[in-house]
Amino acid sequence: MASRKILHADCDCFYAAVEMRDDPTLREVPLAVGGSQERRGVIATCNYAARAFGVRSAMPTARALRLCPDLVLRAPDFERYRAVSREILALFHELTPRVEPLSLDEAYLDISAVTRFRGSATWMGEWLKAQCLARTGITLSVGAAPNKFLAKVASDWDKPDGLKVIPPQAMEAFVAALPVTCLPGVGPATATKLETLGIRRCDELRHLPREALIERFGKFGQRLFELCRGRDEREVRPQRVRKSVSVETTFPRDLPDLASCQAALPALVDRLEARLARHGHPPPSQAFVKVRFDDFSLTTLEGSAPWDALMTQAWGRGARPVRLLGVGVRLRPPEARRQLPLFDEGP
Amino acid sequence: MKFSISREALLRPLALVAGVVERRQTLPVLSNVLIQVDEAQQVALTGTDLEVELIGRTAASQVEAPGAVTVPARKLMDICKSLPDQAELHFALEEGRAVLRSGRSRFTLSTLPVAEFPSIEEGQGSTELSLPRGTLKQLIDATAFAMAQQDVRYYLNGMLLELKDNLVRTVATDGHRLAVCSRPADIQVAPAQKLIVPRKGVLELARLLDGSDEPVTLTLGASHVRAHTGDFTFTSKLVDGKFPDYERVVPRGGDKVFLADRAELRQVLSRTSILSNEKYRGVRLLLEEGNLRVMANNPEQEEAEENVAVEYSGNTLEIGFNVGYLIDVLNTVDDERVQMTLSDPNSSALLEQPGGGDAMYVVMPMRL
Repeated sequence: MASRKILHADCDCFYAAVEMRDDPTLREVPLAVGGSQERRGVIATCNYAARAFGVRSAMPTARALRLCPDLVLRAPDFERYRAVSREILALFHELTPRVEPLSLDEAYLDISAVTRFRGSATWMGEWLKAQCLARTGITLSVGAAPNKFLAKVASDWDKPDGLKVIPPQAMEAFVAALPVTCLPGVGPATATKLETLGIRRCDELRHLPREALIERFGKFGQRLFELCRGRDEREVRPQRVRKSVSVETTFPRDLPDLASCQAALPALVDRLEARLARHGHPPPSQAFVKVRFDDFSLTTLEGSAPWDALMTQAWGRGARPVRLLGVGVRLRPPEARRQLPLFDEGP
Repeated sequence: MKFSISREALLRPLALVAGVVERRQTLPVLSNVLIQVDEAQQVALTGTDLEVELIGRTAASQVEAPGAVTVPARKLMDICKSLPDQAELHFALEEGRAVLRSGRSRFTLSTLPVAEFPSIEEGQGSTELSLPRGTLKQLIDATAFAMAQQDVRYYLNGMLLELKDNLVRTVATDGHRLAVCSRPADIQVAPAQKLIVPRKGVLELARLLDGSDEPVTLTLGASHVRAHTGDFTFTSKLVDGKFPDYERVVPRGGDKVFLADRAELRQVLSRTSILSNEKYRGVRLLLEEGNLRVMANNPEQEEAEENVAVEYSGNTLEIGFNVGYLIDVLNTVDDERVQMTLSDPNSSALLEQPGGGDAMYVVMPMRL
């Protein structure tokens, strides 16, 4: 198989970057975008000034504020982020149609067949970064490699505003020296396990035979075996098929009973409908309700009953105070959409 | 409670009532059938799933002590079914258990308190009217297949029953195809009533009805509908929701009308469907003068092609359909021949008896 060329392009602290672009006074202060402490929110993104204090994404806002009392917190404005995201995606598509968006701010691009820029991944990366900054004011980090896994590692290599290219001939040496903590799926627990075996780098990991890895790590062992050899055959899939659309809320205070859950429903359903409208009213197949109780147990109930009936049933499974509620719909698969509907499929 | 009854007197009402009882229940007592016996030797059997309730009445051959009990519905039915014809069954409540004796057989069944057995609340019946059972049965049979099964649009998981002066109509649709059937009836309903009966209620009601001209009495309430037929009282909750306006989707002005032999077309479609995509079941129809070609292929690249003679002279049209939707209609149309009206590949098809009959079937195409 001919060697592939994959780019991973990732905006630097995207939500925070959009906020700083639109309000330059925020550039000099530690800034985070996320939910408020009172509402038990978490940090979605923070700028590099905030990272210097140890603030990280997915950290509870309360903890972030303890680390950095002067942290400026902004509520996320997804409408604005989506608009910027659309511009950036459009830019990617100017280079190649083979774009796989992973979220609002990152995407894989398969540039194997691109002939512009003499096929040079480095030039393409430079062009994307320059264009993105000029058109949207957002800086990109770009990684280029023969597969998705290494492209993603590369984009993270010189962040922010980075460009790292791993050409095929350099791949072997790069992977050999790569710390195992750079492998996707290797978190603190796996890293500790490996460390007790004296393994810190990928070349050390290669000494473990496949069977030993599978025995120790199950199915993930097989993946580790491939990754530490720099192997990743996953294709760039231009359209990720959206399977469901949903919204959810963690409440500032637990909802004590079923009645208060029912009362919270209409607002959630309104938000879901707005989101469905944004996606062009994709045809739904099933509705579902998600409930996280105060003991963190989670239940999801799918069905065709009206929302309040689903809620009653789902709540009954735990029958205790509720921390989080979500509502959503599963979408009909694209093949099924060939069937034309009798009625205009509105919300 | 102590009484005797013949197997035959018990079996039919028990089978129908047990049909309402769901296999998997949240409340244990809902797996049971309520048996009530009075001094007049009348036996009433009740099954419910809280949405649909069915009471069947039959006669005991002898009542020693009136009373009531609830016992597991399916087990009782399986026992009755497997006892020999003409067997005499003796029921007794002994120390909280139901004992059923027949000949040299004895079965002891668990019971649950009668007081726990729920009954659907008797709402205010506002309107009462009578129809021939055969009329209602035909209306249901002509349309029930098009009901949705588990649609998010919960009001589609049922059948619209429309009653107005001198007319009864049923409408069912799953959002891809629609069936509507109207029959004249000697009723006066003002204002016109539209109720959505849930899917299960429709199917159970159809099982109760025979094709006779005997009356079925309908009581229409705000949230319930009740049907009386001699020995049975059927009650169903109604689905609260707005059913789509069928008149908006019945196509008008299709200019490509052909006639085909119903049985032959059905066979052609059934054979072709073997090589259609198993899940989505798409087939292509190519309509030409005097001929309809039906084609299917599947992800394995296997192909089927059939030709059937049709009465048609007009422009050629190629259009795709879920073959299951067409076969369902052809199974139901009450005529030797079927008439199909098309206009273009993105517009619905109208199927009906040649020249139009009581029933109309609308099927949306699939993109080719």
